[in-house]
Amino acid sequence: MIKKTFRVPDMSCTNCAMNLESLEDTLDGVKEINASYHKLQMTVEYDEIRLTDEQIIAAVKKKGYQAVPV
Amino acid sequence: MSRNQKPSLDPVILITLGLVLVTIAVVMIVFQSDSNSVNIANDSGTMSQLIVAFVTGLTTGGLSCLAVQGGLLASSLAHQIEQDYLEKAPHAERKKQRGKKTQVQPRSSSALPILLFLVAKIVAYTLLGALLGLLGSYLTLSPMTRAVLMILIGIFMLGNALRMFNIHPIFRYFSIEPPKFITRYVRRTAKGTDTFTPLFLGALTVFIPCGVTQAMMAAALGTSSMAMGAALMFAFTLGTSPVFFIVAYLTTELGARLEKFFMRFVAVVVLILGLVTVNSGLNILGSPLSFQNLTRNLLPSNSGPATVAQVPQASAAEGEVVLYVQNEGYFPRTLSAPAGKDFTLNLVTDQTYSCSRDFVIPALDYYELLPDTGTVQVNIPAQEKGSTLFFTCSMGMYTGQIVFE
Repeated sequence: MIKKTFRVPDMSCTNCAMNLESLEDTLDGVKEINASYHKLQMTVEYDEIRLTDEQIIAAVKKKGYQAVPV
Repeated sequence: MSRNQKPSLDPVILITLGLVLVTIAVVMIVFQSDSNSVNIANDSGTMSQLIVAFVTGLTTGGLSCLAVQGGLLASSLAHQIEQDYLEKAPHAERKKQRGKKTQVQPRSSSALPILLFLVAKIVAYTLLGALLGLLGSYLTLSPMTRAVLMILIGIFMLGNALRMFNIHPIFRYFSIEPPKFITRYVRRTAKGTDTFTPLFLGALTVFIPCGVTQAMMAAALGTSSMAMGAALMFAFTLGTSPVFFIVAYLTTELGARLEKFFMRFVAVVVLILGLVTVNSGLNILGSPLSFQNLTRNLLPSNSGPATVAQVPQASAAEGEVVLYVQNEGYFPRTLSAPAGKDFTLNLVTDQTYSCSRDFVIPALDYYELLPDTGTVQVNIPAQEKGSTLFFTCSMGMYTGQIVFE
């Protein structure tokens, strides 16, 4: 398991953070996501064998946001 | 129109709008009746407070709440619509094969969950209002505490408006992030597809109130009455419902195309409300920096209704000054009094039911709830020449001043 932080500059309210955190339930290999609207970033704890950065970025993009690894 | 074509207006929407209008009518009738069982009905000031709450909900609350809570509803709806689509699609496919044009319309499926969501939300917020009012009755807020609270609420609203305008990253901190365990619980509940899910979700929105709702919650706390707190939150949440319903419904249909436009509109209204709230707080503090106190001398003085002008004024030289406390405010708004000696201020009410009855002179720390009809005397101690004493209602809406010459 590794923890990675992504910058998500498109978040416009706390609901966006909740929306991103919902990837916890759909993205295979994710243990926990903590998204913060205040910091415009999300921290993902995931299994690097089952999931890659690119897959996370793609999933975030599908939600309508851009994620940039910090 | 072919027999298979659906009418352009969904019957569920019509029923919902009808229900909303009937509810509004019932509320208006209940609060206008002369029932003594609920004290709040008799006071026109209270009535106007409820109307303000309703209008605030109708104009800004709905959109603001939608920005915060809409995602939950949308996620629940999305699932519902998806289910609906899957159920209808094979049927549509069969019809298509028979050469008929059929469109899958998830409209009725999206209207009902929104309605259930809103009903639960109204009930939950009314109960919350009752709880806050009850809590407030134990706290008994003084006008000064209320002023500070109003200024803080106003700053909070201004911060939120500036956040929505994306002025500076610092303003993001004016948006309260609910604790993770709550958002996770709410989110996971949102996945259900049964009828009770929107009901449950609607009730859960009390944990993620929007900025305008938070301001209204503070106002409910300030009422210091269980019935009034409940009525205030009911009026506000009821007001938010039509806009919430229509926009939520359209959003599911039109996507996020209109979202930016609505957010700008909400930001402008919240900004104005924030300024008004801060100004009211400054009035209650007796600050010369409030809009009314800054502009009073620039604008022509309003001498009030004709009835006031006809009543003979007591002489300031005799040590008595009369101030007419009316439903529309204080008349005259600027009083003159001799400097350097005590005098009596006669506060005259005549069927006055508005918040002007809650009379405050901040500098003297004087606060009195005047009788609806009668005269109350206030002894004003000697003041320096050229000084000014500001007075206001406890809401900071109606103001005036005594100038010492």
